[in-house]
This record gives sequence, structure tokens and C-alpha cells, in this order.
Amino acid sequence: MKFHDSVCGAALFALAVFIFAYALTIPPMPGQQYGADVFPRLVAIGLGSFSLMLVWRGWKYSPKDTPWAAVAPWARDPHTRGNFIIAFVLTIGYVLLDETVGFIPLGIAILMILFVRQGVPWRKGALIAVIMVVMTQILFGQMLRVPLPRGVLTGWW
Amino acid sequence: MDAILGALNLIADPYVILLICLSSAFGLFVGAMPGLTATMATALLVPVTFFMPPLPAMAVIVTTSCMAIFAGDIPGALLRIPGTPASAAYTNEAYAMTVKGQAETALGAGVVFSAIGGIFGTAVLATSAPLLAEVAIKFSSFEYFWLVCLGLTCAVFIALDDPVKGMIALFIGLGVALIGLENPAGLPRFTFGVTDLMSGIDMIPAMIGMFAIAEALRIVAAATTRLPPARAISGSIFRGQWQLTRKYPVQILRGSTIGTLIGALPGAGADIASWITYATAKRFSKEPEKFGTGHPEGIVESGAANNAAVSGAWIPALVFGIPGDSITAIVIGVLYLKNIIPGPMVFVNQPALVTGIFALFFLANLILIPFGWLAIKSARHILAVPREILMPIVLLFCIVGAFAVTNSPFAIGVMLVFGLIGFLMEEHGFPVAPVILGIILGPMLEQNFVTSMIKSDGSFFGFFNRPIAAFLGVVTLAVWGAMLWRGLRAIRAPQPV
Repeated sequence: MKFHDSVCGAALFALAVFIFAYALTIPPMPGQQYGADVFPRLVAIGLGSFSLMLVWRGWKYSPKDTPWAAVAPWARDPHTRGNFIIAFVLTIGYVLLDETVGFIPLGIAILMILFVRQGVPWRKGALIAVIMVVMTQILFGQMLRVPLPRGVLTGWW
Repeated sequence: MDAILGALNLIADPYVILLICLSSAFGLFVGAMPGLTATMATALLVPVTFFMPPLPAMAVIVTTSCMAIFAGDIPGALLRIPGTPASAAYTNEAYAMTVKGQAETALGAGVVFSAIGGIFGTAVLATSAPLLAEVAIKFSSFEYFWLVCLGLTCAVFIALDDPVKGMIALFIGLGVALIGLENPAGLPRFTFGVTDLMSGIDMIPAMIGMFAIAEALRIVAAATTRLPPARAISGSIFRGQWQLTRKYPVQILRGSTIGTLIGALPGAGADIASWITYATAKRFSKEPEKFGTGHPEGIVESGAANNAAVSGAWIPALVFGIPGDSITAIVIGVLYLKNIIPGPMVFVNQPALVTGIFALFFLANLILIPFGWLAIKSARHILAVPREILMPIVLLFCIVGAFAVTNSPFAIGVMLVFGLIGFLMEEHGFPVAPVILGIILGPMLEQNFVTSMIKSDGSFFGFFNRPIAAFLGVVTLAVWGAMLWRGLRAIRAPQPV
């Protein structure tokens, strides 16, 4: 979805209002005039001012036929839209399941799904996925000692 | 002298040499692959650099960035698709030369003048940075406050076509920097009870998200991922380069100088340098009518400029801790991870590291010639690597890289959120680099502002009491005035949505 500049500006202005309102709740530093609330207020004022400028500019100078919201070309095509959503969902899935399932099975699954989705033959995709994930495990997990979660493979090595 | 010997000793280590060779190959590959940028290459390397001592980590980043910026010329000349944005200015020119049967000359000019520009930029870096550091060591919070303001505004004012959206992006970055306990009172701000947010948003996952995930999502969402086949390069790429050097010495010098200066300006990097110098080459050319028809003059000047900008960007990064471009923004993040605070004290406390970085730049630009030659000769094979296989692997590396920062899946979440923000921002015409500048410089700006206000008992005149602070303040206010004037003029022009 692609939004009109005025819509973007209005949303950002709302964010600026939120930051300012939050800053009002920050207690002052005892004995000091300038505490943790000063900078958020300045950021909110700056963001709010430029957001309003964007709203005004979009409303006044954008071509009259510009829609408030339009579907981006990639999002109109079911295939590219699907690619985007799948890549995004798979990453969220990794965050949620990495401790339980582990890096190796999840990594292979993510690569396999994305390869097949992008038109790579599944046998070739599976082979590359396994090689890449095992190499990553060796490089990061073994050589660089990053504790990549083992999940269902705990105790295998 | 001890620092120089120490630095050379560190670089001569076989481990460092091996890393330089590997990162050269990596930088050339990523730079030559359309859609993968030099910044993305650097962001992907960050998790690997965690586990290295500071100098080898810098070796990896310096070599990769120098190689990647040059390698962007390869698909530009062969396929009319720039490998990185820094090559976009003269892609049509280089491709026109290829059509005329002069691909070897175009690519040879790319490699030779990139190396010359890079060495020039390094010479300026090595001579000016220590001198600036001697001045900067006397700076107080007042000077730093103005410097950060100047850096942030330059990034928006000079680098971008749309200052309104640039300023919004900058304030978004400053807003992100508000999160966590790092503030004058040490109070949790915008943490909403989430423990992982107490230490703030880690800049490395945010940068991986904005520079790598957003790009990967864009390519995954693109309708076509396959590149057309590239022709093989059979002739010598060095034939005719000496004649070009003798014919265009002024262009080489001008490109290198402008490139270094633009690189040194916060936020403006190799791509801006390349566009500006292509324009100056045409403006001052004796044969402007030949531009666009396969004329090497613009390639010579811009090719020198974009690599000069890579070294120039390290001047503010090393001396003041203010990134000159998106690559040095990542460098600052890496240095912080190694408990090295970029700024004038680095020149006092870590002289071997600083000298080592200068030496690495010289070395990287020298080996650019043989490695560049190899990359050009194997261009056909490099460009045949299917992007439909590459992008999922990039995504996997991003996941592992973000995880490696804190060993927590929270960092992957941060990376993904920033990847989505970066993707949406670019979809709507907002630049992402100012967000990163805001995240990096936000704490520095707040700390120096609050400290200065406390020192001056709340008086703004305190910001003008010291001579250098007053000078920087006047310059900053002048830039803000010019920005306001430009903004008011631009606001009248219809803006595409």
C-alpha cells in the first residue's frame, strides 16, 4: 500500500504528538532544569513541524488525481506479494520457533521455501539449503561460537 | 614512527592478509551483483567482525567497501545495470562504450581511476585526520553540539533532493535514539516495560534491517530476478589507460578532490560524489557533446571520485565520531562494539589502529588493480549467479548476523521491524540513511545539549561563548537559514507522491 504524502504526514504528526505526550510524563531531574524530558520534546516538535509541512505540501501541491492510498505495483501481483509476505512471515516464524525447533531445521525450511517460491527446482533448492545452513552452523556456531539454538537437535553433537 | 611500524606489523600478519583477500573477493562479488550494495556488504560482514580484533575487523570493512564501490561499474558497463548506486551516474556512458566495442577501456578506466581516486582520498585522510584530531581534542560539549547539528543538517541538506522527507527521516532516527536508559537522568524512556528495550535499540540489527533486509525484501518482491547474460571480456583492460591518464589529469585531480570533500561531508557518500563529478566533467569538458555517446572523460572523473569518497567519509567518522556515509555509520557501530569510541582520543589511545586504517586504505586501493582485473575477467560467471538463490541466503545471514549481536531472538525482531520500516520508507520516497545517522548521533546530541545547558545555566549564549563553538554555531545557523529558504522554494513545486 502506498499512501499519499498528506496521509504519511498526518500519521507522522500523530507519532510526534504521542512522543510529546509521553515526554510530559517523564519526571524532571531533581535540582536540574534540563532532564530526560527535554530532548523527546524537541524531537517531537521537530518531527511534528516537518510532518505538518508534508501534510500541507501533499494537500496543496500533489496532483489532484493522486489517491489517498494506492496498492503498489508489486503488491498487485499475487506472486510478488506472496514472495514478500512469505519472506516476512518466515522471519517472524524463526523468531518465535528458534529455541524450540533450532537453527538447522528452521534455516533449511526457510531457504527451501524461499528457493522453491522463487522458481528454483526443489532438489537443487534442498541441496543448496542443506549446504548453506550446515556451512553457516560451522562458521557461526562452531568457529565463531555464536550459540545458535539447537532445538530438536540438542544433544546430537 | 612506532605507530607506523606497529601498524605495518599488524597488517603483515598472515591472518590479516588472508582476511583482506577474502573480503576483496566478497566485496567484488557483492558490488558486481545488481541490487546488492556496498553498504549491504558491510552490514552483512558486521557479525563476522565481532569476533576479530579491531584492526582485522577494519581490514575487512575497508577492503570490502573499496572493492564493492569499484565493482558496481562491471554490470553497469556490461548490462547497463549499475551494481551499486555509486556507479549509476556513468552507467549509460560505460554501456555506450561497450556497444562501441570498448568495454575493456571502460572497465579498465573504472579500475585504474578508482584506485587513483582511492589513493588520493587516503592521502588526504592520512594527512588531515591527525591534524583535525589535534584541534578536536580541545573541543567541549558546546563545539560537539554544533558539530553534530552541522553533521545532521548537512546530511539532509546536501545529500537529498527532498529536505522535508529527509528531516522527517532524521527525526525518526532521533526518536529511536530516545528509547532506553541512556539519557541524562538514566530513566527508562519509551520502553513500555520491555526489558530488552532498556539498553535501547541496538544500532547493528537496525542497520542490518534497514540496509540489508529492506533491500532483500525489495528484490524478493521484484517481478524478475534473473539478469541477462553478460559478454566475456577478452582484451586487455589496461590498454589505453596511460593515454587517458595523460589526456585527463585535471579531471582525475578534480574528481579525486571533489570526491574526498563530498565523502567528508556527513551523510553524503560515493553516489553523490559520482553524480556531482560526472556533472562537473561534462560542464568543464572541451567536448561536452560527446557525453552520453561512449566518451570516457566522465568515467575517469566520476570513477576517481566515488572511491575517493569512500576514504573521505572516514575523516569525520574517525575524528569526530560523525559518520561521513552509511558505511562509516556501520564502522562506528563496530568500533563501539569493540569499546573504541571514535573521536580525537582514538588518535592518542590507539595510534597503531588509526595508522593501520590508513595503511589498509592504501593497500586496498593498490590491490584493487589486480583483484579488479580478476573480477572483470570473471564478470560473465559472477553475473550468472542466480539472484533467486542469493536473496534467501542473504536473508539467512541477516537473521544469524542480528542474532549474533546479543545472542537473543529480540535482535532478529528489531532487524525485521527496521527492515520493514526501511522498505516502507523507500516505497514512500523517504531516505533511510538519515534514520541511521539519527540513531547514532541522537545520544551524542542529547548528551552534549543537556551538558552544555547545565554548564551555561540554561543560557543559549553559552553556545557562542567559545570562538570555535561560535564559528560552528554561526555556520550551522547559516546552513539552517539556507535550508529554510530552499525548503520554502521547494514547497511551491509540485511533488510526485
